[in-house]
Amino acid sequence: MSNTSQERLAAGTMVPGLLGCGLRLPDSTCLSYSFDEMYPREHWDSILNQLAEMMTSLAGQGLAPRRLTWTFEQGQIFLIPRPDGALLALATQPNTEAAENVDQLAEEFFSLTPGD
Amino acid sequence: MNATAKQYQILFVDDDPDFLAMIQDFFATLGEKIWQIHCATSADQALQLLKARKMDLVVSDVNMPMLDGIQFLHILNRSHPDLKKAVITANATEEKRSACLAEGAELFIEKPRSPEGLKSIFIMLEELITWTPQEGFQGVLRRVGLQDVIQMECLGRTSSILEIHNLQLRGRIYIEDGRIIHAQAGDTAGEAAFYKLLALPSGEFQLQPFESPPKRTIEGQWEFLLMEAARVHDETVAEAAAAGLVSPSEPAPGVEPSIAAPDAGTRVKETLICSGTGDPLYVWQCPDRPARVALLREVAQQAARFSQLMPLGNFDRLEIQLADSRAVAQAGADRMVFVRVSSLKEEPATRIQ
Repeated sequence: MSNTSQERLAAGTMVPGLLGCGLRLPDSTCLSYSFDEMYPREHWDSILNQLAEMMTSLAGQGLAPRRLTWTFEQGQIFLIPRPDGALLALATQPNTEAAENVDQLAEEFFSLTPGD
Repeated sequence: MNATAKQYQILFVDDDPDFLAMIQDFFATLGEKIWQIHCATSADQALQLLKARKMDLVVSDVNMPMLDGIQFLHILNRSHPDLKKAVITANATEEKRSACLAEGAELFIEKPRSPEGLKSIFIMLEELITWTPQEGFQGVLRRVGLQDVIQMECLGRTSSILEIHNLQLRGRIYIEDGRIIHAQAGDTAGEAAFYKLLALPSGEFQLQPFESPPKRTIEGQWEFLLMEAARVHDETVAEAAAAGLVSPSEPAPGVEPSIAAPDAGTRVKETLICSGTGDPLYVWQCPDRPARVALLREVAQQAARFSQLMPLGNFDRLEIQLADSRAVAQAGADRMVFVRVSSLKEEPATRIQ
């Protein structure tokens, strides 16, 4: 992954309530950031891979999501797929600025070209 | 990550630069570092600023060249419906006040003539900017069925009161933490009232914030209540059809003609409710039940893994946004639910109050 992606991902995610985020590229390489010690980076690869599996399962049932939102008592996980197969996952506290700004973060993600 | 106090972005729009300078001086001092004040001398300049930055409040003059304050409010109401708006004018008239409030302004204030007046305005604006809308929402949705709304409220485990009325009947359904606990329709209460309200072919409803009902008359699971309501409704229509009163596709007698009759069958695209072990309890237009059950099991497994990896707490639901619809999947130990509905973009609500 180029520095452009990393810088833009980091800059675009400095939002209150964001616990962590991860990016999974079509070649399965992952990049992750943690903004809360309870949401460590080392778990993000596993989460991203599981989310990718879920995308495959959904596609197998004729469901091609534009977004997945996993809602738990203490947090939400958003997954936004890009047409090239890249996946952006965000973990947020519920009802926070981060949860409200998922669209903006997604736009940033979509603005990255596949080569970035 | 910084945990700084929220800074409010406030945009003042006035063609008088001296007034703007005075506002900036005075309010920046009163607002200390909490208010960040932006100024525009015209509506188009204000719109440019709004494109570049999210504002919390816009305070506009009325008498401005080119695009006056009322037209500006009209545009804002469409482009930024959630933005708080106030009007401040030197020529306050009842006509202007009505027009501004009708265009979405929350406050209509006369321009002050003294520092004390400015301070009063500051207090009013501060009250407005920190005001949080009451939890829940009010609205009128057309072309969205009552069943859809009840399903979404129950699936979301929210608490609310659904007020329903048409020309013949007025009633309320109380939902607490996703459970239907009481219904009242005219003089009827309990499940009978619930079925009566669900049998209405048309009308209006509003979701109100929850408050405890005068009594609790319903205990059953919402899924079965909805199924029973559908059965009662079908029977009523069939009986009316058999008596030659209506055709099966028409509303039952005793209720008003359709105002905006829901286009039944196109809103909820599929529903699957099954036990925690996957035994079907209710299936409607589910294209491949075993596959959906497998999907729900996978959702449950993945949610459990996420909860192990991160302190997310109990899993509530997975929402799947699709191109033409959205789905909600819930997978609990005792029950699994999959509901897919047409997206609101496909069938827009025609009026939101």
